[in-house]
Amino acid sequence: MRLERRLWQALGMALLAAVAFLWATPFLWTLVASFRPEGAGSARMASLVPDTPQTLENFRNALESGAFGLYYVNTFIVVAGVLAVQCVTVSLAGYAFARLRFPGRNVLFYVFLLQLMLVPPALIVPNLRTIVDLGLYDTLPGVMAPYFASAFGTFLMRQTFLALPRDFEEAAAIDGAPWWAIVWYVLLPMAQPGLVAFAIVSVTAHWNEFLWPLMVINDPAKHTLTIGLAAFTRGAEGGKEWGVLAAGTLLVMAPLAVVFVAFQRRFVDSFVFSGVKG
Amino acid sequence: MSAISRLAIGALALSFALPAAAQTKIDFFFPVPVEGKLAREMTRLVKSYNESQKEVEVTAVYTGGYDDTKLKAQAAAKAGKPPAVVLMSANFNVDLKLSGDIQSLEPMLKADGTTRDAFLADFWPALHANAMVDGELYSVPFHNSTPLLYYNVDHFKEAGLDPAKPPRTWAELVDAAKKLTKRDGDKVERYGFTMPAGYDYLGWLMEALTLSNGGRYFNEEYGGEVYYDTASMLGAARFLEDLIFKHKVMAQGVVEAGGVSTSFFAGKASMMLLSTGSLSFIRENMKAPYEVAFVPKNVRNAVPIGGASLVMFNGQSEDSKKAGWKFIKWLSSADTLGGWSRFTGYFSPRKSAYDTAEMKAFIAKNPDTKVALEQLPYAKPWFATYQTVAVRKALEDEIQAMMNGKKKPDVALKDAQKKADELMRPYVEQTALKLPR
Repeated sequence: MRLERRLWQALGMALLAAVAFLWATPFLWTLVASFRPEGAGSARMASLVPDTPQTLENFRNALESGAFGLYYVNTFIVVAGVLAVQCVTVSLAGYAFARLRFPGRNVLFYVFLLQLMLVPPALIVPNLRTIVDLGLYDTLPGVMAPYFASAFGTFLMRQTFLALPRDFEEAAAIDGAPWWAIVWYVLLPMAQPGLVAFAIVSVTAHWNEFLWPLMVINDPAKHTLTIGLAAFTRGAEGGKEWGVLAAGTLLVMAPLAVVFVAFQRRFVDSFVFSGVKG
Repeated sequence: MSAISRLAIGALALSFALPAAAQTKIDFFFPVPVEGKLAREMTRLVKSYNESQKEVEVTAVYTGGYDDTKLKAQAAAKAGKPPAVVLMSANFNVDLKLSGDIQSLEPMLKADGTTRDAFLADFWPALHANAMVDGELYSVPFHNSTPLLYYNVDHFKEAGLDPAKPPRTWAELVDAAKKLTKRDGDKVERYGFTMPAGYDYLGWLMEALTLSNGGRYFNEEYGGEVYYDTASMLGAARFLEDLIFKHKVMAQGVVEAGGVSTSFFAGKASMMLLSTGSLSFIRENMKAPYEVAFVPKNVRNAVPIGGASLVMFNGQSEDSKKAGWKFIKWLSSADTLGGWSRFTGYFSPRKSAYDTAEMKAFIAKNPDTKVALEQLPYAKPWFATYQTVAVRKALEDEIQAMMNGKKKPDVALKDAQKKADELMRPYVEQTALKLPR
């Protein structure tokens, strides 16, 4: 009996390990290929087994093809700037839709949600016009501006606030706290998992974004990481230097991967709490 | 006079002096069609231009792939920030002219006291059609390519084929590919033939096969017609289907250019159709000996032109127009074009670039460069229509379905034609079908 249970457990573990391996294969390959000498010409290009003479040549080539230090700084500014403003706008908007009573609240909320249906490329020209009118063309704030309000974030925060019991707010209100104090001292601390979940979605989306920064930025000194990476990946007529490509990809995704691994437990908790799927 | 007032006068004088010495600043959008190294080289070129003179300062803006570049340039123009000069896929001109985005270069030629014919005389004749729209010059060719057949010399010897006699016809291609394909039971260890079938590339290669089969692909004189549902293209499509499903010398499914060159390097494919633009890349990375040859023919030798040209967007001030044209002339000078050609593998659109000592030495050292040049007399214009990208994708989607075994060639081409006609209808109704009442 006990043996049988163990057997099932082992089988389950093996199955999970296999799925995990399958899922991790692209990452493993990127890691292996980035250290492989002569990525493009090698017959063993697709192999997952590392070659014995490892090389940093690919990283050197990748780093030389653009000002990656600058790209990191620019990307960080964009991602952090967007997130900072979004945290304010989505919490306030979420609070308004969850707690305040005003005529047309639900209609307004659904109209707001309609934004999620629009495909971003359709908005490129109108958004770009606005950016030019605001004098933000070719600036990092121009890259950030369209994302300052987020329909998804507002929705998420509204749901998070709705799930919180009203007792706490009422207690605070009886003690004479104004609405902003209630939001700041009572609701936000409890809504933290929702904010964290939203932050993950926001950071990954803007870290990986390509098209919009490409549209807004001309000055090479203001390029973001994805545009730097595109120099390897967008080749139309040529071949691919897999080693350099892998090294470049690794450089772009490394910071996010490190942060995720470091705070993994916290992130998973947040997602489970808020019911968001990545 | 106090020191402060002297300083103030000095500053005032300086501020008056400045406008006279001011440069015209222009933006130059360029895609990177091959790989990262080219972006660096382009940035270096533009820097050397900026240092060589004082009137124009060019900001080189890397703008992704060909399609990304078109999207960005058009969006910027609509938002009131048109770029002065853009390196654009050579077949986008018709579309860009019809949408009113790019300007005719005729006024610049006139201001220079030259004519279109005199200006184009130094460019290979095959390139003239794609440089013009409705009989006017709209772009200056910068780097160009044609498809080539690359083949592995060791594999040829091993299969008992003579590497000095590459396949010249479709029949010879099938024959060679069969001998080159290595099978282990049901598993294929090495394919005799491969070619990229991703977006953009597939349309270009379908044009190569259709032209080689005596066809035309599109109406060179009028942007509202493509010839998808024709015997010449049906033959080309069936040929492709046969290579995959009947002769089984080509892998089923869609492989992108990167995958194709990688399988060629790795010895997993013996012959491939790929752009001359990849020549330097292949030369640097291929370990085994290889050769290049003309694209094999069925009816005649013919290949489409590929590559990119320099265009100027509308909505420029007079100063930036002049500055842009000056920059274009420098960028398309024989020296610059020759250097770029040696660096990339694209051929230089200017004939005189091949008269320089550097170029002669380069060709002597790299004889494969010559094949691309020898194929040039057989080159034809690249398809360019109203809504070029969408009309091209209409064909590519269908051919990809065929390559996956989901559609037969005749049905695929009929569907592609129907879709393309629908896409071009607004233009056709405004032009060819607009009749006097």
